[in-house]
Amino acid sequence: MGGITGNRYAIGLVLFAMVALLGVPALHNDYITLTFRNILMFAAMSYGWNMIGGYTGYVSFGNVVFFGMGAYCSAALSGHGIDNLVAAVPLAMLVCASFAVVVGIPVLRLRGHYFGIATLGVSLAVADLVNNLDVLGGSSGLVLKQADQAHFWIYYYAMWLVAIGCILGTYAIARSKLGYAFVAIRENEDAAQVLGISPTRYKVTAWALGAMMAGAAGAVYAPANGFIDPSITFAIDNNVFPIVMAILGGMGTVAGPFIGALLLAGINEFLQQKFLQAHTIFFGATIVLVVVFLPRGLMYLVGLRGGVRRWFADLRVFRV
Amino acid sequence: MTAGQSSRDVVLRVENVGMRFGGLWALSEVSFEVERGTVLGLIGPNGSGKTTMMNIVSGVYKPTTGQVTYKNRRIADVPTHDVCHLGIARTFQVVKPFASLTVRENVAVGAMYGRLGGKRSSKQAFERTDELLDLVGLARVASRPASDLTIPDRKRLEVAKALALDPELLLLDEVMAGLNNSEVDEALQLLRTVNERGVTLIVVEHLMKAIMSISETVVVLAEGKKIAEGTPLEVTSSPQVIEAYLGARFAKRQLEEREKAAPETSA
Repeated sequence: MGGITGNRYAIGLVLFAMVALLGVPALHNDYITLTFRNILMFAAMSYGWNMIGGYTGYVSFGNVVFFGMGAYCSAALSGHGIDNLVAAVPLAMLVCASFAVVVGIPVLRLRGHYFGIATLGVSLAVADLVNNLDVLGGSSGLVLKQADQAHFWIYYYAMWLVAIGCILGTYAIARSKLGYAFVAIRENEDAAQVLGISPTRYKVTAWALGAMMAGAAGAVYAPANGFIDPSITFAIDNNVFPIVMAILGGMGTVAGPFIGALLLAGINEFLQQKFLQAHTIFFGATIVLVVVFLPRGLMYLVGLRGGVRRWFADLRVFRV
Repeated sequence: MTAGQSSRDVVLRVENVGMRFGGLWALSEVSFEVERGTVLGLIGPNGSGKTTMMNIVSGVYKPTTGQVTYKNRRIADVPTHDVCHLGIARTFQVVKPFASLTVRENVAVGAMYGRLGGKRSSKQAFERTDELLDLVGLARVASRPASDLTIPDRKRLEVAKALALDPELLLLDEVMAGLNNSEVDEALQLLRTVNERGVTLIVVEHLMKAIMSISETVVVLAEGKKIAEGTPLEVTSSPQVIEAYLGARFAKRQLEEREKAAPETSA
């Protein structure tokens, strides 16, 4: 095992894959470019969730709110004639981090499941609010000015930059003093506190850092898509996929969310082509199987000593 | 300490502390003082309130009555996570390792966030950690996950994590429980070394031999009340202590030993 960052070879593999992904627009296939841009976007959101859910152990069911806020930051700027990602992404990160701090301070003071329930409530409330705010287009949404066709690759590379930022950011955070505070809280909050770690302060920090990642992805998504409304930005998929990706790849690791995003998107794509009508059923079944047989993700298998037997012995599902 | 000042340098003052859980007073009107640089033993039968006292002194519980002052600050006013920044560290009777981290990383967390942690980079915290792992004898398992450790090593890890906070007052809650004789001797040696470096110790222990050999003062609790305080010798001859805790056989042996020793010391 590679300690707090997870397996080193897996991280190397992820970085190699990221370099390879730089070449995607050169294929001049819009469909492939769009598919991989979506994978990068979900990976970024998954890294955002991994900060609080994976590293700090507080499961958020509402991180979609940051993706949505990021998207609306971009759209709001566009409405004022500013169609510039260099302005939109930092603004989205700032807004999302501030929102995480304001909501997090009261909610993350509590231990246990309250946070998960509260985040679900917050995400539904914000989606409803946007739905009824005419300034933000309400339920009919907002249209953004896009780059012309010849420069459309810019959105792909912007999303690539967001994703690599999330990967390298996670690596740096995990190895810093912050990462150890997060993991200490996850493993034993009482013990962490006695070692001088203020649980509320570091839980809020983790959530805010993750919020910035999801917000940045949202800020790039809005102009790339050209149109946003509450139903597509606050979609259930945008909430659930990042969580499942982090679990599939390995929570609390640097490589996990990217590997999970790549695999889950691959599985989804395959199922959609094989079973157009019933693919969501198979997709749901895949998620259930992952949670039952790989509750600690693929990264856990990579680092496992003792092979199949150990894996089998660790499975709780067969112990009644 | 300059001449003329009081020779008693009290670092921790426990005054009339009472702690109620529902209808039960786990502690009532307990008072004692701890002098800088000394070792205080806290003993008592099961359920006498020793761990509750540890939790109050380390700021985990707020006492129902009375107060604990450390260097003239009331512990109850300080958030739990800031108590270690004042210089108080503790171990847990039920060890609480961070299971997915390595032994070295476990200790490093303390070195990063303890009293001097704010001044350390993560690299410096690991350097400090390596010194401590050598001191407590865990260097050989430094890169193993904490969940793999044996019971004696888990106890060592608890001590190392507490030491990583650079404490001035260290509370040790049954760190020798479950150790064999030679391991107890090693642990005592370690505690003496720590004490010689200027750390004041409060030692909660069941093992009489261990506590009697290391403590300068012993406080005895029974059913939440302090029933005796004094040197190990004074405490073990107190009738209340014999009745509440030590049992007649131990007391008799102590008395006999004292009678044997008495003529030599008076000569």
